[in-house]
Amino acid sequence: MTTQSHPRTDTTIAASARNLTKTYGRGDAQVQALRGVDLDLRRGSFTAIMGPSGSGKSTFMHCLAGLDQASSGSVVVGGTDLGTLSDDALTIFRRMHIGFVFQSFNLLPMLTVLQNILLPLELAGERIDGATQERARVVAESLGVGHRLSHRPAELSGGQQQRVAIARALITTPDLLFADEPTGNLDSVTSADVLDHLQRAVREFGQTVVMVTHDHDAAAYADRIVTLRDGRVV
Amino acid sequence: MRTVFLASLRTHARRYVAAAIAVVVSVAFLVVIGVLSAGVRRGLMETFGAPFRNADHIVDGDPVETDLDTTAAVAMVERLGDRASGLGRVSVAVQSGGWRGETTIGPVAASEALRWQELVAGRFPERPGEAVMHLWDAQEHEVTIGSVLHVGDGPTAVDLRVVGHVLAPSPVAQASVYVTWPQYLHWRNLPTFHVSRVAVRGDAGPVPAGAALYVPENYVRNGVALLNNRTDTLALMLLLFAGVAISVSVLVIANTLSILLAQRLRDFALLRCVGATRQQVVHAVRAEAAAVGALASVAGVLVGGSLGYGLISTVNTLVPRVPIRTPGLPYAVLLAGFVVGLAVTLVASWLPIRRVLRVSPLAALRPDVGDEPTTSRGRIRFVLALCILVAGLVLLVVSVVLHSMPVMLTGGAGVFGGILLLGPVIVPRLVRLVGAPLTGAGRLAITNAVRNPRRTATTTSSLLLGVTVTSAMLTGLATSRTAVDERRHRQHPLDATITSTAGSLPPGLLDQVRRTVGVGHAIAVEGTAARVSGLDDVVPVLVAPAAAEVARDGGAFARVAPGVIALDRGAFRRNPNIQPGASVTVHAGERTMTLRVVVGRGWGRVGMVSAETLAALTTTPTLQAIWIRASPDADAITLVDAIDDLADPVGARVDDELQARATEEQQMRLLTWSVVALLGISVVIALIGIANTLGLSVLERTREHALLRALGLTRGQLRRMLALEAMLLSIVATALGTVMGVAFAWVGYMAVLRPALEDARMQIPWLSLAAVVVVATLAGLIASVLPSRRAANVAPAAGLSFD
Repeated sequence: MTTQSHPRTDTTIAASARNLTKTYGRGDAQVQALRGVDLDLRRGSFTAIMGPSGSGKSTFMHCLAGLDQASSGSVVVGGTDLGTLSDDALTIFRRMHIGFVFQSFNLLPMLTVLQNILLPLELAGERIDGATQERARVVAESLGVGHRLSHRPAELSGGQQQRVAIARALITTPDLLFADEPTGNLDSVTSADVLDHLQRAVREFGQTVVMVTHDHDAAAYADRIVTLRDGRVV
Repeated sequence: MRTVFLASLRTHARRYVAAAIAVVVSVAFLVVIGVLSAGVRRGLMETFGAPFRNADHIVDGDPVETDLDTTAAVAMVERLGDRASGLGRVSVAVQSGGWRGETTIGPVAASEALRWQELVAGRFPERPGEAVMHLWDAQEHEVTIGSVLHVGDGPTAVDLRVVGHVLAPSPVAQASVYVTWPQYLHWRNLPTFHVSRVAVRGDAGPVPAGAALYVPENYVRNGVALLNNRTDTLALMLLLFAGVAISVSVLVIANTLSILLAQRLRDFALLRCVGATRQQVVHAVRAEAAAVGALASVAGVLVGGSLGYGLISTVNTLVPRVPIRTPGLPYAVLLAGFVVGLAVTLVASWLPIRRVLRVSPLAALRPDVGDEPTTSRGRIRFVLALCILVAGLVLLVVSVVLHSMPVMLTGGAGVFGGILLLGPVIVPRLVRLVGAPLTGAGRLAITNAVRNPRRTATTTSSLLLGVTVTSAMLTGLATSRTAVDERRHRQHPLDATITSTAGSLPPGLLDQVRRTVGVGHAIAVEGTAARVSGLDDVVPVLVAPAAAEVARDGGAFARVAPGVIALDRGAFRRNPNIQPGASVTVHAGERTMTLRVVVGRGWGRVGMVSAETLAALTTTPTLQAIWIRASPDADAITLVDAIDDLADPVGARVDDELQARATEEQQMRLLTWSVVALLGISVVIALIGIANTLGLSVLERTREHALLRALGLTRGQLRRMLALEAMLLSIVATALGTVMGVAFAWVGYMAVLRPALEDARMQIPWLSLAAVVVVATLAGLIASVLPSRRAANVAPAAGLSFD
């Protein structure tokens, strides 16, 4: 476990999980994916969650990100207890406070790059004015996809698609940015590029990033590595 | 490949449901029509022959299509006495108890052998003044044996005592009331009186000119054939509607299959990879389509058959006078239904399956690529479609010039076909246009709706077809109705009249009439009672300078030149003394004038003269008549009852067109609604298609929906997005269809209707069309309910991290 400090790192907690458990199925088919996980994530930190297949790392991330409800325990993100929220409230919370970068299928194929980046704002019913578009352009520029704004995802390379996904996750300045195996489908050079951009989001914008990965090279970009095994932090 | 075939049929059975429903509905539609017309044919056979059962000869026009001359027929019956039975009827006004209306009277034969009515209670009439009544009419109007029918009005009215109830099966000679032959002749001067056939026992003697003797068996067979022609024409029209439904089904099935097969393209490629030949794959898919088609067709035949027989027994119970009987199983119809259903499925699957043919084994290994319309094939298609469209438009113009129905139909088909082929270009643009004001999830709905232009176009085309035909029919009916109305207005310009029969009307009556609910406007018409040479009764001679205020044709009939009397030929029909140009002498009081006759129709048993003429006839004109224009929302029966109540105490006569018009309007409404209901079946099939396309698209987009949910799209927003997508498609199809339907109706009006009916004016039924748009849009919303519920159940994390 490595912990690096950074001058701009805020010491307050961005998210925390307490005694988190998650059970799937019932009877003989019952699977305990999480068996009491405790974790605090500091604001402006870059955390990698590692573990072998079936260790519960994806489940943990889904619970932490409000994509899935935990069986017991609590998740607090940005001061909000996710367990108290209804499905709609949780969805709206996700929209404004949590950003996502998935392994694949991050972008809607029928929308342009710019439309994909603006999508969370569009879903929130925000007015897309010139200033917003300009902000999206700046974010895209900083991720090196500023010249592809009017293209469709199918016309981009895998690395470019992931960088667009990062841009989309950053557009709402979320409390937490989740990356689920963001380099799983990429070659090593492109992977390094994408990870570099995630790291810059932490360093330059003070973003809190949580990355699920089983790739040690990728994890090395994080400030802190949390390893899960059999549903517990080890 | 059999394992593959069976396994995929099992796996994809649910996705075939919508396509199967489309087939079931069309096949059932066809079979119902077949069973019903078989039932009618059977019913006609049984009932038509009844009046001719014991006859040796039938006298009818020669050739048989022409009418037998009534005077000659009457003379023949008189000559042959009880060896002959005249068949005919007359319409007369009748009143009995609370019933007041119009009824039909026919004769019963003098000899029992020729009596075809079946006595169910009481006895047959034996002398004038007695009558039997058809049981159903008697029940409807509560006329019991022993009641008296007051028939006709004025001095020719007679009272008939009902002495029995009968059932009369024959549709050709059926009346509501039957009387003895001498009594029947009482109405021989009425315009509707006729004797159109004579059944004769023994030697018929000399046959009048223009008539011929027929052998009863042949006569019945031919007559039924003639009636069957009418049934067949009706069945043919119904088949046209069924044809629309079938075309819509073809589009729905083709679309469903192409989506299904596109989703399984990787499976097919994989099959090719592991060694299946092109032929094997195509055979398997074709067998799948055939199996679905066969099963759905069998279901359609069963549904249609039971529906048809059910309808016949319902009709027999509820409206027993309709000559329809339960037929034997019409095997040909059932078989035809099955074959059509199977053929429709196979035809519809032709193109989608050809696309499977092109799949290469490598496609299994490549990521999905949607087919874009900007290929060279797409461009060829575009040009071809444009050519067809232009050719169709040219033909439509030609049809307007030549007044040719076949050219018009060909042109219409060309334009519609062109629009359908251009669909992938037109429909997405229209969707963007219609959806322009939408934001947020609505914007996503637009992009989803247009992302696959060909699918969008095919999905909408089925609804487009249904709505186009519906709105064209609605507009066409409304337009031809203007011609009917116009003619009626000219022939019957006055809604209702109160006419004096004894000197004059009391002056206060006009105010009473004007105060009556339902009277829009009423005018006083002055004149004097006069005797006109050649006419039996005293006739009011009138001047109506204000006729334009109440007459529906502008009152032209009331503007008469001096020295002329205008008489209603219809009201004095069969009076040979009324001839245009003839001179008549008119006596009013002490004065006498000779006036020239002009004829017209529609203002009743009065003479119209100019003010000068009237001044010459009398110095003291009195209130002779009140002419009434009903308000547009007036209820005909209530209004006429109210006027009757005012007119009766002062001994005035009431004539009205309102009840006849109300009946006609009701029939027109019934016709319109029947057409709408029949076309509604196609619209329903089209909506099943929209629901199905949306459902299949939702399956394809599971991952997208999961992503959107993760990014913050609420369940409600997701449902709304899909509902909007369905509504956008149905709005565009409905709007385009309505515009095209009205345009086609306009061409039909210019090419066919206007040359045939000079009174027809183009009439767009805005209200009905708006109703079609609203209903189709709402139906689009309903079509989205199931797919969007399924989509909303997608968990936000589902499908995002499985590979």
